[in-house]
Amino acid sequence: MLKYILKRLGLAVLILFGVSLIIYILIRVMPVDFIQDKINAMNQGGATIEQSTVDALYETYGLKDRSFAGIISGYFTWLLNIFKFDFGVSFIHKIPVTEVISSKMGISFAVALIATVFEFLIAIPLGITAATHQYSIRDYITTILVMIGISLPSFFFGEMLKGIFAYNLGWFPIAGMETASGTSGGIAQLLDYAHHMVLPILTIVILSIGPRMRMTRTNMLEVLNADYIRTARAKGLKESKVINKHAFRNTLIPLVTTLAGLLPSLFSGAIITEQVFGLDGIGNVALKAMNSGDIPFIMGYNMFLAFLSVIGVLLSDLMYAWVDPRVKLE
Amino acid sequence: MEEMNKEEICQQALENEAMEGTEMELSTQAENEKQNIEELLEKGDSKDTDEPLDKNVRLMSPGRMVVRRFFRSKLSVVGLVMVLGLFIFCFLGPVFYNQWGETQVDDTPSKRYSPTTYTIEVHGQIYEIRETIETDVPYNSYGEISSEHVLGTDQLGYDVLARLMYGGRISLMVSFLAVFVITILGVIAGGIAGYFGGKVDNIIMRICDILMCLPGIPILLIIGLILDSAKNVPVIGDPSTRIYLLMICLTFISWPGTARLVRGQILSLREQEYMVAAEAMGYSAKRKIFKHLVPNVMPQLIVQMSLSLGSMILYEATLSFLNLGVRAPYAAWGTMINVLTTDPNVITLHPLVWLPAGICIVIAVLGFNFVGDGLRDALDPKARR
Repeated sequence: MLKYILKRLGLAVLILFGVSLIIYILIRVMPVDFIQDKINAMNQGGATIEQSTVDALYETYGLKDRSFAGIISGYFTWLLNIFKFDFGVSFIHKIPVTEVISSKMGISFAVALIATVFEFLIAIPLGITAATHQYSIRDYITTILVMIGISLPSFFFGEMLKGIFAYNLGWFPIAGMETASGTSGGIAQLLDYAHHMVLPILTIVILSIGPRMRMTRTNMLEVLNADYIRTARAKGLKESKVINKHAFRNTLIPLVTTLAGLLPSLFSGAIITEQVFGLDGIGNVALKAMNSGDIPFIMGYNMFLAFLSVIGVLLSDLMYAWVDPRVKLE
Repeated sequence: MEEMNKEEICQQALENEAMEGTEMELSTQAENEKQNIEELLEKGDSKDTDEPLDKNVRLMSPGRMVVRRFFRSKLSVVGLVMVLGLFIFCFLGPVFYNQWGETQVDDTPSKRYSPTTYTIEVHGQIYEIRETIETDVPYNSYGEISSEHVLGTDQLGYDVLARLMYGGRISLMVSFLAVFVITILGVIAGGIAGYFGGKVDNIIMRICDILMCLPGIPILLIIGLILDSAKNVPVIGDPSTRIYLLMICLTFISWPGTARLVRGQILSLREQEYMVAAEAMGYSAKRKIFKHLVPNVMPQLIVQMSLSLGSMILYEATLSFLNLGVRAPYAAWGTMINVLTTDPNVITLHPLVWLPAGICIVIAVLGFNFVGDGLRDALDPKARR
């Protein structure tokens, strides 16, 4: 087991190395003049980016030196800085990239966590009823609804919800995190936050319920065909007991495995949804950074995402072995 | 003499290969026959039982079996109708609805109304003032539905229906191209990795791991930025080729999924007897992979392709919505919804500008998903229905 984990960790380092190389190449493809233009545009737009920050960027990426040796050494200086958790200073926020990420992560994490909980609470019962009533009207309706959910583009669905519930009905605020005057603190403020989060969370839940529900359904169908379910029925157990106790538990195995795979999505933020609803999360910040050319942040954010997905894959493999004792890791 | 014999046996084994691949069809065929017999027995045609049974049994080719099972599911038929309908709409639509082009502006002067709200404070009281600003514009901005414009016009005076058709062309074409390239790359990489195994497999799979860890949309945002920087370069900087370049980049990070699928299948297929026979015949590796192994992965590949068509359309739409892909004056479904980010009033005031585009995206993705699902069930050897 330990040997397996060590091997996988070694692989993870290799993968991150590859990812960093690709990201570095991408940044090197951009001409320096273009970066300077972007910085000038930002300065004209009211931002005050000091020349020292810009110079630091050129320094860490070795952007000025366009010879082959310069590119190689530039990459390694950048890599060394990453090991020191130094991604540079964000142009827009004027604080180190790691600080920007950690300060904006909370909101995205809260939204994603609540959405994930709802997702599981809705998807699992739906999947089970669809499986136990296979080929019934209920099965078809849930399948069709869930398929529509998968097929909706997040921006379109988000805007639609906004149009109906925020503009027409006025039930929910249009965008943002809190009502401007709502700085009362305490429970009132928390409720205000919750009020703003309803539509974004609804969007995320409806869009991502599909895969999870279908997974539950397929697993449940497989389990229901197993011999031990027939045994359970044969010995005269109530159908509810057969489903809830014998079948359900075994359905959970793959679902728990996906839990660890969710790790990246919990922290990375939903770029589109956050943008549509004007949430101040990490996804929205990243989108703004990319539109204006905040290179240190873009690079840091992408490395952060890659890191999360490497860890996510590793954890879900380990989780698989932990939940299902039949699985042997080598 | 012995040589000849060996060759013959090998040839036979190779013929069996086809059987291996169509095993599922055979089993369902048998099932079908059984069903027919049962039906006959139910009818109680006792006098017919003297006749040999196979006179009453219609034999179907494997391909026809799949087609029949596909069309038996209502959802897949609905999906097929949706997809075909969209294709006709996008590719034949402009032939009949030809009074407006993609980038043709209706230059009837009109007035544009933009509501604004602001608050002022007078003697400690806060007043909210709503005002509608009227501006004259030299084009038909947000034109109403009329015989001239079936779905009205958008903010810049373009005909919405015409743009819907032309935008759909780009979305569908780009997605098809992307899926095509992804499949080719995936089959080559997966085939080589699965067949050779060992070091080659290891290297290809590690590359897959790396590419799979790249975050899709953020990476494409960076590439969009790079394309911005190449604005003055011919071809690359052209707004109409932009989406193609972005999708090419997308295919380069999306092929690992297909490669893994192909590799997994080939790992089990290469242990089959017909591969031993192919080995004995001294076929080249290329022939073995692409003539004997890959065709047997085809069912899974087809399903994967139709499902990834849906996700590619979503990707394209998202890119265009973020203003990375197709940009004005050209149209794409995502680009048409992009208006909302610049002018939030459009959401409620002019739903006809953006709603149809979104509905088209949903129909396209849903259609491909239904078709993919139907194909999966129809091609699944374990399926009972």
